[in-house]
Amino acid sequence: MSSFDPVTLATPFFILTVILEVVLARFGKLKANYETADTALSLTMGLISGTAELLTAGASFAAAIWVYHHRLFTIPMTAPWAWIAVFFLEDLTYYWFHRLSHERRFWWAAHVNHHSSQHYNLSTALRQTWTGGVAGTWALWLPLSFLGFPPAMVAIQKGVSLVYQYWIHTEAIARLPRWFEAVFNTPSHHRVHHARNPLYLDRNYAGILIIWDRLFGTFQRELDDEACRYGLVHNIGTFNIVRVAFHEWIAMAQDVLRQPRHVLGWVFGPPGWTPDGSRETSAMLKAQWRARQDRGAAGPANP
Amino acid sequence: MTAAYLVKFAISAIAVAMMVAITAWATRARSPALLDETSARRWLAVEFPNRALDGLWIADDANGAIARSGDDALVLSRLGAGWVARQVAWSQVMAAPTSNGRLDIHFGDVTAPRAVLALNSWPPQEAMG
Repeated sequence: MSSFDPVTLATPFFILTVILEVVLARFGKLKANYETADTALSLTMGLISGTAELLTAGASFAAAIWVYHHRLFTIPMTAPWAWIAVFFLEDLTYYWFHRLSHERRFWWAAHVNHHSSQHYNLSTALRQTWTGGVAGTWALWLPLSFLGFPPAMVAIQKGVSLVYQYWIHTEAIARLPRWFEAVFNTPSHHRVHHARNPLYLDRNYAGILIIWDRLFGTFQRELDDEACRYGLVHNIGTFNIVRVAFHEWIAMAQDVLRQPRHVLGWVFGPPGWTPDGSRETSAMLKAQWRARQDRGAAGPANP
Repeated sequence: MTAAYLVKFAISAIAVAMMVAITAWATRARSPALLDETSARRWLAVEFPNRALDGLWIADDANGAIARSGDDALVLSRLGAGWVARQVAWSQVMAAPTSNGRLDIHFGDVTAPRAVLALNSWPPQEAMG
């Protein structure tokens, strides 16, 4: 689609900065928590994710070309205004893609592995899905091509967004200047997104601009007295890469086979949904947390 | 899949191996935190905030714990430097097989198939009644 691939170009930067973060943390020069098995898992998932993406690349490419042939307008790739427009529209698309990936189980099944580490460092950014293409979320970007943005332009902007989101996966940067934190997604905002504290669940879906979360009511500031605990609500109990990649798909299939008449809820309900309420959704966990806060009996924030 | 792609993949794989090796070197001296009663209770309060504990047993190697909460067992086990918590029926934990002083609990959960805890004196006498 395009020979200019921001992610490929940034790969040496990814490698160098991971090494830098590991080594500087080793000598106590910055805050970063690494663990060998966890890092190996994250990096291997990232390595294989590109290949897994190839399985559906043909379909998504063909769909983008077909939609572009039926476009409403013709937007020139050479116009600066077009790049400004695609920057905002792609980022808005990313926000909704990311929100969908957290709030509906079918797409959470593809995204959950990115959140499965109990650590938060630059290697976590590379813990990428193997099943995103199969989940079909690439279709969410098709309206941009229908509007008239060339598929190559959309692909480049998606790559720029992915590269931007790499550096915010770190504990080494505490807070950035207030104006930057107000407009852009930052390490602080994204730490909240990766945290499993009830207060922080399903918050800060932003790609590059945090303004979408502020606009749609999903923004949560990182609080000094509520340190982030990373990982999943029910942390995964294995470093087996196949289980990490596919566990939610398998669990979803098991639920559907056990109770096929609830297939819609099992597949398209929020993660944690059950017909009898025996598991907990994010909304339930938040409500319980608020109730405990109100009673003044909340558990310790930072064990 | 072109030859260029395979070369790119191979170079990336070498880079991954290098980064993992550096991580192993950088973290080799670090020993993971062990559980004592206070830290176990703190973690269980985070993982199961609505549950009262009727009893708590820390693994002999301090790498896990089992708490009783009514008819349920709250199990905390180590995964690397982190902790994994699951809830199962107390009767299941009481009936779990032990071998060489290690209790083998199967959760029937694809995300955490089992926990193996060093508990030489399991089942505890005080919980047998």
